[in-house]
Amino acid sequence: MYKFLNRSAAQAIMNYKLKGATSQEKQGTLVTALGRLIPLLRGEEKNLLITFIAILFSAGATLAAPVIIARAVDVYIQAKNYHGILILSGILLGIYIVGSITSYIQTITMGRVGQRVLFNLRNNIFMKLQELPIAFFNQNRAGDLISRINNDTNMLNQFFAQSLAQFIGSSVTIFGIGIFILILNIRLGAATLVPAFIVLGVTQVLSSWVQRKNLTSLRSLGGMSAEIQESIENFKVMVAFNRLDYFREKFNQANVINYRASVGAGVANNLFAPLYDLSYDLGQLIVLTYGIYLITTGNFTVGLLIGFLLYANNFYNPLRQFASVWSSLQLALAGLNRISEVLALHSDMPVVAAEPNASPFMLEFKDVSFRYPEGKEVLRHVNLRFDKGKTYALVGPTGGGKTTIASLMARLYDPTEGMVLLDGRDIRSYQPQERTQKVGFILQEPFLFTGSIKDNILYGNPQYRDYSTEELHTLLEKENLSDLLEGFEQGLDTPISSSGDTISLGQKQLIAFMRAVLRNLELLILDEATANIDTVTEQLLDKILNKLPASTTKIVIAHRLNTINEADEIYFVNSGEVTAAGSMQNAVDMLLHGKRES
Amino acid sequence: MKEKSTEHKVIKATGTNLLNLLRPYILLVGLLILLTIASNALSLVVPKIISNAIDTYTQGNFVLQSVILEFFLVVFFVFILTYVQNIMQTYTAERVARNLRTGLIAKISVQDYSYIQYATPAKLLTNLTSDVDAVKTFVSQAITSIISSVFLLVGASVLLLLINWKLALTVLSIVPVVGLLFYLVFSRIRKLFKKSQEVIDWLNKVITESILGSALIRLLYAEHYEYQKFRAASTEAKSIGFSILRYFATLFPVIIFTANMAILIILVLGGHFVVIGSMSLGNFTAFYSYLAILIFPIFIIGFMSNAIAQADASYQRIGEVLNAEEKKETGGVVSQLRGDIAVKNVSIALDKRIILTDVSFSIQAGTKTAIIGPTAAGKTHLLYLLIGLLKPDSGVIEYDGKNIDAYDKKSLHQQIGFVFQDSIIFNLTVRENIAFSNTMHDEDLHKAIATAELTDFIEALPQKLDTVVSERGTSLSGGQKQRIMLARALALNPKILLLDDFTARVDTNTEEKILSNIQKNYPHLTLVSVTQKIAPIEKYDQIVLLMEGEVLAVGTHQKLLETSPEYVQIFESQRSTSNYELQT
Repeated sequence: MYKFLNRSAAQAIMNYKLKGATSQEKQGTLVTALGRLIPLLRGEEKNLLITFIAILFSAGATLAAPVIIARAVDVYIQAKNYHGILILSGILLGIYIVGSITSYIQTITMGRVGQRVLFNLRNNIFMKLQELPIAFFNQNRAGDLISRINNDTNMLNQFFAQSLAQFIGSSVTIFGIGIFILILNIRLGAATLVPAFIVLGVTQVLSSWVQRKNLTSLRSLGGMSAEIQESIENFKVMVAFNRLDYFREKFNQANVINYRASVGAGVANNLFAPLYDLSYDLGQLIVLTYGIYLITTGNFTVGLLIGFLLYANNFYNPLRQFASVWSSLQLALAGLNRISEVLALHSDMPVVAAEPNASPFMLEFKDVSFRYPEGKEVLRHVNLRFDKGKTYALVGPTGGGKTTIASLMARLYDPTEGMVLLDGRDIRSYQPQERTQKVGFILQEPFLFTGSIKDNILYGNPQYRDYSTEELHTLLEKENLSDLLEGFEQGLDTPISSSGDTISLGQKQLIAFMRAVLRNLELLILDEATANIDTVTEQLLDKILNKLPASTTKIVIAHRLNTINEADEIYFVNSGEVTAAGSMQNAVDMLLHGKRES
Repeated sequence: MKEKSTEHKVIKATGTNLLNLLRPYILLVGLLILLTIASNALSLVVPKIISNAIDTYTQGNFVLQSVILEFFLVVFFVFILTYVQNIMQTYTAERVARNLRTGLIAKISVQDYSYIQYATPAKLLTNLTSDVDAVKTFVSQAITSIISSVFLLVGASVLLLLINWKLALTVLSIVPVVGLLFYLVFSRIRKLFKKSQEVIDWLNKVITESILGSALIRLLYAEHYEYQKFRAASTEAKSIGFSILRYFATLFPVIIFTANMAILIILVLGGHFVVIGSMSLGNFTAFYSYLAILIFPIFIIGFMSNAIAQADASYQRIGEVLNAEEKKETGGVVSQLRGDIAVKNVSIALDKRIILTDVSFSIQAGTKTAIIGPTAAGKTHLLYLLIGLLKPDSGVIEYDGKNIDAYDKKSLHQQIGFVFQDSIIFNLTVRENIAFSNTMHDEDLHKAIATAELTDFIEALPQKLDTVVSERGTSLSGGQKQRIMLARALALNPKILLLDDFTARVDTNTEEKILSNIQKNYPHLTLVSVTQKIAPIEKYDQIVLLMEGEVLAVGTHQKLLETSPEYVQIFESQRSTSNYELQT
């Protein structure tokens, strides 16, 4: 049975690396690209319908106004019938009012659709980030991910909020007026539309090129964002090592790359406005010359020609707006491309079915091997057994694989070969909630969220989440943890900033320790969890650990020997292999004289 | 907000105006304006050609060829001019954005550490990306749009006035109405845009923390909780978006309606003039053509007002960074340090929390000093003071008898190596992570690598020194990261080495080797080591015992054992295993 499972797991960790600033691929044409936006609008059918009706009305108003004006000119002004002009003016006023109201409805409905699409997309990406395993975060840069969530989604918002309604409205108007002028005079109408068709054809051809330019530009923005984020988060190193000039230089490189990519995208996006303007002018010329020709042949009137010029105006003005909408669409699609890259990823750590009671131990490693992507093997065929309620120590030189073993115990990764069994079952068969309730892992590098000490102690603890400060105090007292709060002047309410340095590393470790102890775990892993805490406080922590229920299994990784001398068993981890040390003396000998690899 | 926030007061008013931003680009913008005006002036001619053609036709002296020729010439030049203008505006906008970013970074890079903590990395990131982009949009779209709009407005108005001033004045009465509308909405919407940028800061912070804390979140099954946190910020962003939308959704139709009123006026009043015979039909038609030109820019200004309001809010935020007070540059003394250090009556409080109180001790060049004490005794902050990351509230720190402020910072940092407690590895090659520059001597680099016992590790990497390590150095073990950090400090060939709990993550064996390597390879080094373990420091020249921000005792191991009960307590806590450690 293992063999079967082994084979399915016998591969390196999935590659989660997102595309960087340099990779290129083909983009679809305008029509196929529009199709990709449709799924984002699911659930907005009603609003789209409202928008569409509003657009029909406002487009109708736009269409009707010149007809009325042309009629006023042809019938009443030429006939000098002022009363008729006033009646038509009244009708025109009514049409304008309808146009304004529908335009309001259209803008607000579509704008809200845009905001909601943005809201959902942003949330979906963040949710996806939460679903992805830790390997994803090791392979991608924080700044680039931030850029995807904020900048790229915003490109889509701009399109949906400002451009989509305009896009639909313009399309309807263009289509309506196009048909209308064809009906009005098929020959003159057809001639008027020729430049429009030419320019739309050119658009279609250039579409994928422009989108590629935009994608490159967004990628370079992501790359720059990563550069900034990394540097500013680690500013103190820059200062202490006098490397702010290096930081500036690195940033300027990213800045120049971004500048070039943006200019490239800008040149592509801006090509179209003048092109569409040109088609407008040519359309007018055709109407004028051909119209006059038609009048000379007696098939047309001056009034109709003026009306036709207005229609040509009304046909080409939305087409000119199209040009700007169109580049915003290209940007949106490039943004969507980068967002989809994240959304398309899926966790390669599913919950699998497994038979119960496959192992009598609290934790067992069966022939476990592990390698990081593109890395060498970190663990080689490791077999380990941990009894319930005992304390184990893992020692060995740095880089020997201790943290990797601990990470597998908490299923931060899956082994590339072999199996980890938790409380008798394949660890992969546990639901995350069930697993995290059993296993606690105090990380080597503690991380605190912005908030208070209390927030951080209760973080991820469903049992005590709603405790008040007093209740938490009582609880800490009961668990013998309250002494650890002494160093914090404002106690549980001491504020914490994740990017700040007011809390020392040792204090962060104390908070992480308290957080873990309060969780009533079955298996507690401490990965050098007290490395930066003074030895006197550490003795206190030892006492607290000893008071944990007898059923709690403890696994301690440490360099300091006093932290491990109470272990029931000591394992020596080196070069991806694990050997039982037998006794403390043996462990020390191995540490001091054994073959080392790191 | 943060400590010493008064020091980061923003100098108000100077240059947060969007127009000031454009001052350095006056030539480019001037050229842009010229191009815009030229292309727009030419396009104003088009309706004139049409109206002339109709009039000449009705009068019977119409010449087709000349009309087509005129038309083609004008249209061709309009096309060329607008294209060049578009390219120019992209170029200008991107230049403004690039230089704004360079300026921001230049400013940030001369600030001290406390400013970054005060401004927060999340906000600075928004400043450099989203805020700069808003300004860029303003430059690329708004400037030329508004200039050409204003030009078209004025041009069309003049032409209208020439044709029939009475009708023209009536029609133009809509312009101040539109102006007033903009003003009213604009003043309200500015605050909202500022708020919306602040929400982006918030989103940035939540995303960053969720990425940096990703392992913890997965261990605690707190993914859903993180999502709730994000959703709160995201919802706020949405509701601000809705508020902004309400303003614009009202503004647009009202403006369009006002503009349409102009058309109505022409029909009613112009119709009247034609009926009574004071206006020709050709002129009446021309009025309509020009009105189309008049209305289009009003729409454009409407659309652009959004971009302007946004850019304005963003540029103010950028201005806060650009105008932040710089820390006074420290003195210019550039000298070879001997390595004497004196800490005299130093006190510091952060966030109103007392960190160090009246700390004094001195260190002689070439000696080894250990600083020992319980968690949160202020050890790390003391080192930050020594390297100049923090400034004491009172008291002085002296190197070779001179105040630290008297030294040129650059030369000081080149002679003091600092190994931070927390692992900070950059997404760079191992070489860059250690050398942190491209100009380091290979000799210094390799000596540092050998001393930190990294030679074998680097040999085993696929591209040796040129292997890129990931952003948070996750492909490295804790001890490897720590040793890279040590190599980074040693590569400076420092006179003084400050170690912050360096040995915490390195096994005893490696620790021993590294310490003896340092002794051998950097013999004249002044060493200050914050540590927890007594065994390795028993032979140090002096040990400073720090507790709750105060110096309890200074002396050799032997002396402290005799005089300091607190020291004895720490010593006792490590005795149970010291028989093993002593074997080394």
